[in-house]
Amino acid sequence: MLSANGISKSFDGFKVLDDVSFVVQRRGLTGIVGTNGAGKSTLFAVVSGQLGADHGQVWFDDADISALSPARRARRGLGRTFQVPREFAHLTVRENFLVAAQRDYGETLRSVFIGWGRVAREERTIGERADRWIEFLNLRAVAGNAAGDLSGGQKKLLELGRMLMLEPQCILLDEPFAGVNPVLVNEISTRIRELNERHGIAFVIIEHHLEALKALARHLYVMDQGRVIAEGEPAAVLAQPRVLEAYMGGVI
Amino acid sequence: MVAYLAAVGIVALIYMLLTIGLNLQYGYTGLINFGVVAFFGIGAYASALLTLAGWPLLPAFLVAIGVAGIAAYPIGLLSLRLSDDYLAVVTLGFSEVVRLLIQQEQWLTKGVQGLPGIPRVFGSLGVGEYADLATLGVLVLCNGAAVALMVHLVRSPYGRLIQAIRDDEVAVEAIGKDPRRYKVQVFMLGAGLAGLAGAFYAHFITYLSPEQFLPLVTFYVWIAMIIGGTGRTSGAVAGSLILMVFLEGSRFARDWIPGVSEVQMASVRLAIVGLALILFTLYRPQGLMGRRS
Repeated sequence: MLSANGISKSFDGFKVLDDVSFVVQRRGLTGIVGTNGAGKSTLFAVVSGQLGADHGQVWFDDADISALSPARRARRGLGRTFQVPREFAHLTVRENFLVAAQRDYGETLRSVFIGWGRVAREERTIGERADRWIEFLNLRAVAGNAAGDLSGGQKKLLELGRMLMLEPQCILLDEPFAGVNPVLVNEISTRIRELNERHGIAFVIIEHHLEALKALARHLYVMDQGRVIAEGEPAAVLAQPRVLEAYMGGVI
Repeated sequence: MVAYLAAVGIVALIYMLLTIGLNLQYGYTGLINFGVVAFFGIGAYASALLTLAGWPLLPAFLVAIGVAGIAAYPIGLLSLRLSDDYLAVVTLGFSEVVRLLIQQEQWLTKGVQGLPGIPRVFGSLGVGEYADLATLGVLVLCNGAAVALMVHLVRSPYGRLIQAIRDDEVAVEAIGKDPRRYKVQVFMLGAGLAGLAGAFYAHFITYLSPEQFLPLVTFYVWIAMIIGGTGRTSGAVAGSLILMVFLEGSRFARDWIPGVSEVQMASVRLAIVGLALILFTLYRPQGLMGRRS
C-alpha cells in the first residue's frame, strides 16, 4: 500500500539516503531500525513530504504521491508522528484531537460569521469521535490540560491520537518509545497492535528500542549509512551477522 | 476637563483597535507584524482623501477597512515564505515604504504639507465636546464589536486552528491542513482593524501628514499588547488603556518634576513607557491579563 522506490537524498554532497526502497502491505506492521545517522528520520521526512528526494518516488494507495505537500499526503490517509513530539502546547489535549479532524465547514473564515448551527453540529460529531479516541488512549484524566504540560509518553499518545482523528490508512511512527517510561512502552505497544488488528491501520515504526519493536513488527528493515542492509522477519533479521555487525557493533 | 478626557479616551480606543488586531495576528496566530502603522496610515489616508473628495463618512470608513485589508494581502503572501525574524524586518520595511510613498506622492497626499480640513465625525454637532463624546461612543461600540468578534473567533474551530498554527506549523501540515490560507486571512483581518483605527484617527485629528506614521506607533501597539498579555483579547483592551495612562500620565508628571521643558518631557515620556515595558517583562512576563504558563 505504501512503498518507497529507490529514494536518494544528499545534503551538501553527503549521501544521507542511497537508493532506499521499502514496501508496506495493507494492514502491515513494519519496523525500520538503524543506528543514529542511518537515515531513518530523513527517510520519514521524504515519505511524509517534508523533504523532497533527489531520486526515487513514494507510492501510496496505487498513486505516485512524490509531488504532494505534507498536508495533502495526510489528507489521503498517510499520517505521521514526530521523534520530538510536536503537540499544540497551548491547546488542551482534547482541542489537539478536535483540531486534527478533517471537516467541511467549521474551519472556514465564513463559519466565524455565519452558519453557527452547522458548526455546532460538526463539533458534536467530531467531539464524540475525539472522546472515543481519548478514552482508548487513556488520556481522559488529562483531556482538559494544556498539551504542553503532558509527560513525554503522554505526548506520544497524543500525537498518535491526533493522527487517528485523520482516519488514516497508514501511520508513520517516529520513535514512539523514545523517552517513554517502561510502563507506557507496553501501553503504547498494546494500542498500536489493537489499532492494527481491529482497525486495519498499517504502521511503519522507526525505533531504537529493539525489544519493543521485535515483539511488535511483523516485517523489519535494517538501515546503515543510508542503505537498507537487511529485511525480513524480525527475529531472523536481527540474528544476521551483518546486522549485528552494523547495528550493534556485534553486541545485542 | 471633559474635552481632554474625551480626547484621551478616543486616542486610547484607537490604540485598542490596533492592539486587538495585532493580538489576532501575533498573539493568536504567531505572525510578527512590525508594520502595524502602515495599515493604520493606509486606512487614515484612504478615508481622509475620500471624504475630502466629497464622500460621506460611512462608506469612506468601509473603504478604509477594505483598502488596508487588501494592502495586507501581498504582505500575507510574503509571510508564507519568510521565517519569523525576516517577516518582522519585511513588515517594518513595508511600513516605512508606505510612509515614504505618502511623503513622495504629493499629487495625491500633499506630501509633507499634509492634508488639512478632514471632516470630523459628528461634525454637525459642532467643534465642542458633544462631537467628541459621540465619537467616543461610536469607538466604544466598535471596540465592543471587535472584542466580541475576537472572543467568538478564538473559541470557534477557526480560532483553534490559527492557535495551532502559532504553536506548531509543521504539525498543522501533518494533520492535513494548509496554514498558508489562514495566515493570509489573519493578516488581512488584523490590517482591516488597523484601517478602521486609521479612519477614526484621521477624522478625529482632522489633519494628516507622513510623520504621524512613524514606526513608533507600531511599537506603542506592541508595548500595549505585551503589557496587557499576549494572546488574550482582554489583555489587548487592558494594555492599550495602560499605555495611554503612561503616555498621558507622564504629561502631568511635568508638574512635579521641576526644570523639565516640554521638549525634554517628550523624551521622558518615551523613557517612562520603556521602563514600564522592562518592568512588566521582568515581573509579569505573561502580561497583566495573561495566564501563567
